Amino acid sequence: MPKASPSKVSARGVDPALASLFDVHEATLPNGLQVRLLANHQAPVVSLYTVFQVGSRNERPGITGISHLFEHMMFNGAKKYGPKMFDKTLESNGGRSNAYTSNDLTVYYDDFSADALETVLDLESDRMRSLRISQATLTSEREVVKEERRVRVDNDIFGMMDEELGTLVYKAHPYRWPVIGWMADIEAIGREDCQEYFRTYYAPNNAVLYIVGDIDPKKTLALVRKYYGNIPRGPAPAPVLNAEPDQKGERRAEVHHPAQSPALMLGYRGPSARDEDTLVLDVIQYVLTKGEGSRLVRSLVYEQKLAVSLMLDWSWRIDPGTILFYLALKPDSDPKKVEAALYAELEKVAREGITERELQKAQNNLRSDHMRELATNSGRAHALGHYEALLGDWRRVLTLPAAYTSITNDRVKAVAAKYFAPEGRSVVTLVPASTEA
Amino acid sequence: MASRKSSTQKTSARTAKRAVRPAPTPAARKKAAPRARSSALTLPTLHESTTASGLKVIAAERGPLPLVSVRLVIRAGSATDPEGKQGLADFTARLLRRGTRHLNAQAIDEAVEFVGASLGVGVSEDAVSLALTTPAEHFGPMLNVLGQLVREPIFPQSEVDDARERELAHFANDLDDPSIIADRALVRALWGDHPYGHDVGGSSKSVRTFTREDAVRFHAERFGPKVAMLVVVGAVAPDRVAAAAEEAFAGWTGGPDAPLLIPAPGRIAQAGRVILVDKPDQTQSQVRLGGPGMRMGHEDYFPATAMNIALGGGFTSRLMNEIRVNRGLTYGVSSWFDSMNVGGVFALSTFTKTASTREIIDVALAEIAGVREKGLKPRELADAQAYLAGLYPLRTETNESIAGSIAEARLHGLGDDWVEKFRDRLRAVTPKEVAAAAKKYCFAQPPSVVVLGKATAVKKLLKGLGPITVVPASEYE
Repeated sequence: MPKASPSKVSARGVDPALASLFDVHEATLPNGLQVRLLANHQAPVVSLYTVFQVGSRNERPGITGISHLFEHMMFNGAKKYGPKMFDKTLESNGGRSNAYTSNDLTVYYDDFSADALETVLDLESDRMRSLRISQATLTSEREVVKEERRVRVDNDIFGMMDEELGTLVYKAHPYRWPVIGWMADIEAIGREDCQEYFRTYYAPNNAVLYIVGDIDPKKTLALVRKYYGNIPRGPAPAPVLNAEPDQKGERRAEVHHPAQSPALMLGYRGPSARDEDTLVLDVIQYVLTKGEGSRLVRSLVYEQKLAVSLMLDWSWRIDPGTILFYLALKPDSDPKKVEAALYAELEKVAREGITERELQKAQNNLRSDHMRELATNSGRAHALGHYEALLGDWRRVLTLPAAYTSITNDRVKAVAAKYFAPEGRSVVTLVPASTEA
Repeated sequence: MASRKSSTQKTSARTAKRAVRPAPTPAARKKAAPRARSSALTLPTLHESTTASGLKVIAAERGPLPLVSVRLVIRAGSATDPEGKQGLADFTARLLRRGTRHLNAQAIDEAVEFVGASLGVGVSEDAVSLALTTPAEHFGPMLNVLGQLVREPIFPQSEVDDARERELAHFANDLDDPSIIADRALVRALWGDHPYGHDVGGSSKSVRTFTREDAVRFHAERFGPKVAMLVVVGAVAPDRVAAAAEEAFAGWTGGPDAPLLIPAPGRIAQAGRVILVDKPDQTQSQVRLGGPGMRMGHEDYFPATAMNIALGGGFTSRLMNEIRVNRGLTYGVSSWFDSMNVGGVFALSTFTKTASTREIIDVALAEIAGVREKGLKPRELADAQAYLAGLYPLRTETNESIAGSIAEARLHGLGDDWVEKFRDRLRAVTPKEVAAAAKKYCFAQPPSVVVLGKATAVKKLLKGLGPITVVPASEYE
């Protein structure tokens, strides 16, 4: 990808509807903090995203879930703005904030009234510079996270199957454990662990700031320098080793839990986000499950009536990720039969590819979904951050539609054959247990 | 992915639930004195026309992305479901895309989805909404498909049978989702026999009786141009919208002249009572509290909204502060007004580990009582006003949200300046008005309490909250 300024971006591959919308101003502060600014004056609001290159991928057994627990702690007080003051100050100035943790990244985001910009920069830089982690807030926040785990995993069928699948697909890589962490680890994480995490991963040189909305980019950059400029640089975090061995055959597990119907979750080991196969898998995902007329929905839900609903999740990750299928079945469904029907569809793509019309349809939908994602400031900031972190360059936001258009049916066939091989899959079956627990 | 807070807790594969409930809106207040603050909020100009078939069309041109959002709203929501046929509005609306005189289901899907457009069906208590979003260059043909869906659906027998079977499987699987069942139990506890008192999708009992004739009759009797409105927002000129609508909806006849009148609700059905929904495998209880609220367009809207922001709206609300931040009892707690055309409710939703079920209820009730008795501190009100006024412009960021606001303002008679005036009206609210609203809505009478959890462990914790009825979760299939 070219590293030129936006005015010099080659017209080749840049979507005409987007070129004029992405006049992004870039800067890197002496402490390593990277900044991306984009004006949009449609409404008097601004979105700010702070993307830290840390997620559950950077954890180790014993402290699983610390990235996420730590994300919660970032809202619990720093040097200038003490406990409760972050949200209080932000909300009373017409803003709101949230954050999420994934396997690869921790992302903090604020939406706020344009006139609150300086306040928000003060708040955000304060916690990046001088977070305060007290034992009392850690103890309380730990309980909140345990409730979150109970609602997302322990009392949620999808959540418990997903957790099971992770341990099947990965043997050595940190993607093996859930982002929220094991319950016992959440219990055990201490204040020192959090402090070390902060020092290691929350330095400005491990972060990128995205500010999109009703701003003046020049003045905003001056404010960013003022508030963030004197935060000291940290050491470069240690690289994550991918020690995952090759998979040598199908892996299976069962989850027995009270339920009305069986369910199926499958994972195939995919490529890393930057691999050229990634975008081909996006096309395959759309052909298989995007819309009522997609192959799997038409075949398994409407024609064969085997599933009630289904999904395919292909989430890009830094290291090789998982192509995940989930099928919600009927009370009297036979999971074996559903599995066979699914494999038949996947083999068909690997053997015959897809039709030219299906390919074009997927490309049309990938482009229009891409456009829709960019309708809001938050969507634009998120897209810039997401593409930069996972594909290596925010400019991919401009060229993705064209990149999809260049994908051929031969590539689709080859990629399906490569990733949907039976020996590379992991299967979790939900076996309904009696409700008399 | 895990996150600090999310309003939609589920990453579940299940399709989104049936009810698409419009965000609360209502009521123009007279005394609002405009104050100059951050830049004004302006919507694109609305252009209004009526097709020869009698369909009202509202168009607003808006760029820069080459997309268009279309919303066809028909005033025939779940409150108009016939007796014993709860869920029929939803069932009928979802079948529209499963076949018309000229296109079968597959051809409809192909026509819409090939060009990168998407079509969604949403049903609320008050209305059916068909939402289409399309690349601008395909606007005309896509509107024609939409026209066909409402003008000439044929409800093929096999599609009706399949849809019923899928619905029944959904109802069965819903029993495994604690929050869906708790929500459903709350609706029934609050509304009882009122037309708002059933799930938008009905129940397995009612859906099991649906026939092709039911859908055909509901479509013929309830759907028609005189109770519908088309809203188009996006990169298309208003005169093109008017011309395209004329063509797409030509010859659409039938349906009533006016929407069916829904009776005003009486008192809360299970006020002062506890419904304990038993789900023995739970390690966590889902908790709901509810009482009377207000209809859309009610004069209390702004004071009540400001009050609710401070009580259970944002991250710094009293409920969030006491229950989550100070006590670590939950991951999420919120309160809200759910306002519909003829009535509404005020409710709270949260969850906690089984052992702290009673504690969370007591803390929540105490916080609500505190606001009821003393209102808000002036500073709290000012913060709530700044919070909501600052974020309100986010609702004007997309074609979809603008189309939604326009439709809602029309549906409930809020006035076309609703969005532009919203922030001024909100800022004009006084502490006195908030205190009056709090007295009225913060459970002046004992609320209805719904708990879903492991009954053998929870029941003994609920003593003193009112008469307890234990119901198996399967009651809500």
